[in-house]
Amino acid sequence: MGKKVFVIDMAICNGCYACQFVCKDEHVGNDWTPIAKPEPEIGQFWMKLDEKVHGTVPKVKVSYRPHLCMHCDNAACIKACPVNDAIYKRDDGLVIVDPLKCTGCRNCVDSCPYSAIYFNEDLNIAQKCTGCAHLIDNGWSEPRCADACPTLAIRFLDEDDVGELIAGADVWMPEIKDELQPRVYYLNLPKKFIAGTIFDPDADEVIIGAECVLSEIGGDRKYTVSTDNYGDFWFKDIADGKFRLEINSNGKLRVFDDLDTTKADINLGDIPFS
Amino acid sequence: MSTNKVEGSVLTASSGKDKPAVGADKTVIKALGLSGGIFGASPCSVDVKDGKVIRIRPLHFDSKYDSESFNPWKMERNGTVFEPLMKTTPAPWSLAYKKRTYSPNRVMYPMKRVDWDPNGERNTQNRGKSKFVRISWDEATDLIAAEIRRVHKEYGPLAILVQGDGHGECKMIHAPHGCATLLFDKMGGFTQQVRNPDSWEGWYWGAKHVWGKGFIGMMAPADNVVKDISEHSDMVVVWGGDPETTHWGFRGQLASRLLYFWSEIGIKQVYICPDLNYSAAIHADKWIPVLPNTDAALQLAIIYQWIVEGTYDKEYVATHTVGFDKIKSYVLGEADGIVKTPKWASEKCGVPSYTIKALARDWAEKIVTIGHYFAGGMARGPYSHEPARLECILLGMQGLGKPGVHQAQIAYTGMPKNIIAGGKDHMGTFGNLEGTPAGDRILKPHRGTPTAWGKQMIPKTLIEEAIKKGTVDFYGTGGHEEPTSDQYKKYTYPIPAEEGGTEIHMMWTDTPCRQTCWNCGNDVAETSRNSKIECIVAQHPWLENDCLFADIVLPTNTTLEVDDISPCLRDGDSFQSVLLMRKAVEPIGESKSDYEAIVEVAKKLGLEKEVTEGFTVDELIKETYKGMRFDQIVSWDEFQEKDYFVIPVSKDWEKHPAGLYEFYSDPEANPLPTPTGKLEFYSESLAQAFPNDEERPPYPMWIEKGISHDERLSSKRAQAYPLLVLSNHGRWRVHAQADDIPWSKEAVTGKVRGFDGYLYEPCWLNPADAAARKIKNGDIIRVYNERGSVLCGALVFERVMSGAVSIDHGARADYIIPGKLDRGGAINTITPEALTSRHAAGQATTSFLVEVERVSMAQLDQWRTENPEAFERAYDAASGLRFNGWIEGGNR
Repeated sequence: MGKKVFVIDMAICNGCYACQFVCKDEHVGNDWTPIAKPEPEIGQFWMKLDEKVHGTVPKVKVSYRPHLCMHCDNAACIKACPVNDAIYKRDDGLVIVDPLKCTGCRNCVDSCPYSAIYFNEDLNIAQKCTGCAHLIDNGWSEPRCADACPTLAIRFLDEDDVGELIAGADVWMPEIKDELQPRVYYLNLPKKFIAGTIFDPDADEVIIGAECVLSEIGGDRKYTVSTDNYGDFWFKDIADGKFRLEINSNGKLRVFDDLDTTKADINLGDIPFS
Repeated sequence: MSTNKVEGSVLTASSGKDKPAVGADKTVIKALGLSGGIFGASPCSVDVKDGKVIRIRPLHFDSKYDSESFNPWKMERNGTVFEPLMKTTPAPWSLAYKKRTYSPNRVMYPMKRVDWDPNGERNTQNRGKSKFVRISWDEATDLIAAEIRRVHKEYGPLAILVQGDGHGECKMIHAPHGCATLLFDKMGGFTQQVRNPDSWEGWYWGAKHVWGKGFIGMMAPADNVVKDISEHSDMVVVWGGDPETTHWGFRGQLASRLLYFWSEIGIKQVYICPDLNYSAAIHADKWIPVLPNTDAALQLAIIYQWIVEGTYDKEYVATHTVGFDKIKSYVLGEADGIVKTPKWASEKCGVPSYTIKALARDWAEKIVTIGHYFAGGMARGPYSHEPARLECILLGMQGLGKPGVHQAQIAYTGMPKNIIAGGKDHMGTFGNLEGTPAGDRILKPHRGTPTAWGKQMIPKTLIEEAIKKGTVDFYGTGGHEEPTSDQYKKYTYPIPAEEGGTEIHMMWTDTPCRQTCWNCGNDVAETSRNSKIECIVAQHPWLENDCLFADIVLPTNTTLEVDDISPCLRDGDSFQSVLLMRKAVEPIGESKSDYEAIVEVAKKLGLEKEVTEGFTVDELIKETYKGMRFDQIVSWDEFQEKDYFVIPVSKDWEKHPAGLYEFYSDPEANPLPTPTGKLEFYSESLAQAFPNDEERPPYPMWIEKGISHDERLSSKRAQAYPLLVLSNHGRWRVHAQADDIPWSKEAVTGKVRGFDGYLYEPCWLNPADAAARKIKNGDIIRVYNERGSVLCGALVFERVMSGAVSIDHGARADYIIPGKLDRGGAINTITPEALTSRHAAGQATTSFLVEVERVSMAQLDQWRTENPEAFERAYDAASGLRFNGWIEGGNR
């Protein structure tokens, strides 16, 4: 059996929640021991769709992120578990909490930096995404979430086949990638944007084609865009950091210093320019 | 966020072979959409073990057929290709459908309201207040049969109103709605509730007068527009409707993939709506927030800009339209002294005038289609025929019908045709059933139209007025299939006594959602208690909404509990198909199918044979298969063996002309079905029929207020109620359906759990509006106007513009004070009572004035003290309302 990876393309996740629903359909009320015992009806999510609203009216976007166990090759939960083999790694790369061996100490719940492990109070065991190992072992090529995904944003693939695809992919929390070696790859993870609209209040017109230059403060990243037919400028996929924006139109210059994308996306609003 | 750079995935056809039904002992195939009996849904495979559903998953089309046999379609632009998936793409709640079948809100047995005594005191004033007691099927059908006989004898057959229309599960034989008509049809008729278009009011009452189409009022024909837009359009302006949401009820998620494809090939998407709806949230290149129901002002300013800059298709206007001079004169202020400039519009609609000009210019330079998935807030509010007609004019000024210029219900219509598409007008393949041995029996319950019966009628929007006043006049029935000319015809309820006319005295509903889906639900609740209505029978799987105001409730069941057949013929999934839908599980409790319930009543009236016409369910399934001529494309043996058949795409689908292309090419040879054969910017017919109608004049105008509505921010009412409600079709429901699925309540926009643990319907609030009222995210809030109050949960974020609040319609009503204060979030309880306008019997259920305030713990405690029963009803922490909460002693 080849090793598997999840490849999740955030650019085509439409936020329909089918992944979150079918995960519950598979696991709430169904007992798949020895892979998993039933999941509680509400409040726990072995596949959770995280959603985030970026920006302010009218420059607003929503991003969705399927959030599941990363099936790390060097998993923190396995290390944290005091019981031998109660959490184990399969040959296909999936990490399983054995529902028969788990003693309910909760160490793994606290150890997971991705908050992907839940504690089932009624059963006194830790539970999480199994990659639908009970299905994979019985002829399925992918788990329920991938099967139900209408845009194919969630895929479950052979690691050997996806070298190029994941070479440039992101992982969640890249700072701990080397330590944990997660097996879930995200394509097009949302970065920040800086946007605004430029208009001439005297003419009551938007300004089209104004040159907008964004430079990183204390860095060498620099981006240039022109305002579009609505007077809008959009710097998309901007990294976290501090930036300086210069807007040039008809020889006039406006400068925005100290734009900080660390915390949030930035909508500079409708900017009068006369 | 990202540049939508797709790593080959969205454009790659999935090669999913079917997956084993692990842990199951059988698998059946079901259409689990909620659009109604016919047309079907995105098919699902349902895995069952020991008589219990364990899993619901997409159907893989190629699991039992070679995909080549489907003749897969392909669309392409600049080398980028869009192809079908080999699996279905059902809505999330279709995949969670077992939660509906096993809902704690299921009606488990027949019931009678505890203080309703047909031989004594009926206590109609207690409807919605008093609880129910269990009775047997035998008792229930005896009671109902006796009431029918009594009412027939005292008043005549037309004294029974049948409310049997609307959306529901996809079943042909056990039709979710309308089965009662099979019985009353054999007993001298009934009064028919005519369902008005409830997602496209504006187009029905407005656009039809411009382009003349008979059905619904959307642009027709709309064949092949998806390919045409993909190949020719530069921009799609999605105005109001939400293609990422509303299609969930009808079909699969093809529209979602299509919108990604359009972005990929460089088609710009502009969204005009007060809320950042679910499509705008991920597909918009530009979001233009517009205050609810002020679209007409924005449209007029765009027309103004095109006129003064000369940037419209003058030749087309001259050859394809009539009445442009009237529009021009009005827009330029010659008619009323007001020039419809961007500045003028900006003050009304909240869009900066410079943005309006930019939009007008960008549009004029590009090849533009207006996209929808139904109307959203754009054409469902007061006077919705005005923005709907203005939309036709915008399209007409830019050459409607030329390649890339359409009005598109995105992937609801316009996908490649299949090999058996066709037949009679909108009925398509279903039309084939007419005249077949069981065709009438199969089709009739599904026809929410006067064409099927039409003796004595009341539009669904006028039931309350009819009951209260005893008589009501209306122009046009509102029936979906009626021609435009019907809107000039005056009807009166009741019809003359010598023709059997009578007021109604008994109501039979199998669509008990008037309170939460139609106009002014509080009035519906109040009027249900009118003593004139001596008996109300409801048949429904769940104890909710209008059911709570019934005297007798019959437990019916869900599609998972019956054998049936479903042709899935709407666009919106990769292929069309027909399903043999075998029973998945045995009926829950004492439930029977809607059809079987009617047969039980018919038995007591000695009419069983008349209702069944001697057909068994199996025979009716086979008659449907044969009657729709599926026997010509798949043998009965193969269909029975595989349980589904994928209908191949027509060989010459690419040659079908797109939209109104033929009218565009030669309007004289291919006229529109209007009196002049042209696009009627000005309607002489309207002018003659209603010469003094200032609310729907012969050409569309900006209507600030009128005798029907006063729901603008300019109104005096706005001093007390300064916010406009946008009420869309639900993200997590289809109208009133599926509000009981626990897993959808866990979505961020699903429900808001209040400090009291109750799951409140979200009310979207802009942070500025929330802060001004000291409302925080997650607070319980009261949304109110003179018509009543609705409790909601505050969802404070940037997905709605200031001045508007957004509350999806269709939440289950859960009255604290019936007819006054609702805890369930049924916002339609406080929508306007009035019609779309004086002569247009549509509903105005979005874009009306309210105020919102934070509900304190003390306030909630006071309500609890004053209305203890409402707070003591059994409640499920996961799915909400429970059946036993309304059973006498059931809380124990």
